[in-house]
Amino acid sequence: MSTIATRTPTLTTSDMHSTTARSSWQLVKRGLINTRRLPSAFFPALAMPIFNMISFSGTFFALTKLPGFPTDRSVNWFMPLGLAMGSAFSGVGLGFSLIRDLENGFFDRLRMSPTSRISLIIGPVLATWIRVTLVAVMVFVAGTLLGARPTAGVMSYVCSWVAAIGISTIGAGWGLALAFRFQDMRGAAVMQLSIFLTMFLSTAQVPLNVMTGWLHTAARINPVTNIFRLARAGWVNANDADYLSWQNAYGGLIAIFVLSTLAFVFALRSLQKIDN
Amino acid sequence: MTGVATAPAPLIAEHSAAVAFRQTIALAKRSTLELFRQPALVVPSLIFPLFFSFLGNSSFGRTTSLPGFPKVNSYLQFQLAGTITQGVLFGSVTGAAALATDIENGFFYRLLAAPTARTSILFGRLAGSTLFGALETAVFVLVLLPFGADVSAGLPGIIAMIISGALIALAVGALMSSVALKTGSAEAVQGTFPLLFILLFFSSAFFPRETMSGTYKTIAGINPISHLVEGLRALSLEGFSISATARAILVPLAIAVVALFVANRQLQKRLRAN
Repeated sequence: MSTIATRTPTLTTSDMHSTTARSSWQLVKRGLINTRRLPSAFFPALAMPIFNMISFSGTFFALTKLPGFPTDRSVNWFMPLGLAMGSAFSGVGLGFSLIRDLENGFFDRLRMSPTSRISLIIGPVLATWIRVTLVAVMVFVAGTLLGARPTAGVMSYVCSWVAAIGISTIGAGWGLALAFRFQDMRGAAVMQLSIFLTMFLSTAQVPLNVMTGWLHTAARINPVTNIFRLARAGWVNANDADYLSWQNAYGGLIAIFVLSTLAFVFALRSLQKIDN
Repeated sequence: MTGVATAPAPLIAEHSAAVAFRQTIALAKRSTLELFRQPALVVPSLIFPLFFSFLGNSSFGRTTSLPGFPKVNSYLQFQLAGTITQGVLFGSVTGAAALATDIENGFFYRLLAAPTARTSILFGRLAGSTLFGALETAVFVLVLLPFGADVSAGLPGIIAMIISGALIALAVGALMSSVALKTGSAEAVQGTFPLLFILLFFSSAFFPRETMSGTYKTIAGINPISHLVEGLRALSLEGFSISATARAILVPLAIAVVALFVANRQLQKRLRAN
């Protein structure tokens, strides 16, 4: 009589890392394929920043005539706002997709598969970064056509792109966390409203020295103000106090790091709640 | 022996304007109650314009001294007309979406099967939106007044503004109802929301045309929303006068007449299709 030797496969740390990377990559691919197959879902995130930039630059053109306004081109001021809005909603859009996956049961299938939990977050976020980069390129092209001119060369674009990626990451973490918590479309309204309020209660529309009253206080303590300073560092006049420098950049980078970390800790904890 | 029931003779006479009016009132009551019973649908069209007003007042308060800006006590006074128009535009989409929902869930066809005057279906729905537009205008004026959004035209001006707000709601509601009747889809009606948003931003709702330049100024000049806003703004800034009142009331009235004609045509088309 022969005995059948069984071997239990053991996963090494290296195997687990490669599983996380592979699963994340598959989810990135899924996200990008969805963008190609459902352009109507991606189109608003692309159209919104361009529309924002055009309408705000035109409507509030006269703002540049105010004493102390950091640029004489309104499109220089509003292009980073448009990009930031588009990036935030691209990030939050991840929460909408997750709600759809939760409602149609696809997310349960992902949870039952032998994939690491972290890849369920990393993959979609990486796909969002790629989409935001596409949006940024389109916004920069449209902005240039409308008259936007960088004042710090390539670094102007780099700073705006970094801020856009940062805002989309915060939006994505927040969107995922709320989607895990609510698990239905009720979460969508909270996601949009909270992002909208946080953005507008900052220097989104005008710089601090132009604001008056309660908004000035709110914008001063709102960390998003630092992110906008980073985004606009290469688009304001070279003699302005907010012009590109390490002092004007690090606050934005810290705000992105802290807010992203908090949002993703919240998202992971919310995911663990579903698992339990 | 069986008696033959005879139909009351003056049926045709009863299908008069009075009956149609009573039916319109009943349907208007239904559409108004529907709005108040679902506050989640209407509260955003009240809260968001107010939020934007206060935000704008703090953001653009210093711009009132710019060349080309009209003489105002505060930016809020300038912004009042824009706030009313913004709120009424968004509120009217909700009313038209409700008409589309009636088509989607079959209530519209049940009304057609009943001896209801056809125009009552449309006018009843629009009456609800018009009433809500008037109410929104009154709320915006009352909330913003203590914060510096003075109405130079006084009480007669406020009354004229409320009438104007109601007429704007009727005009936009009728246009949106045309979309509802043509498509029969609430999603399609909601899909027109970005179009209204674009029209609003490419107008003088938030900043005077005098401070704009180039193509943008031209677009704002031909945009009907600019003319709706400026009519209301005349009452707010210039005081009560026949010309300001006429601008505030006649412009939305003219748009409402055209929009009602378009909506009625869409209604007739849908009726013929059934």
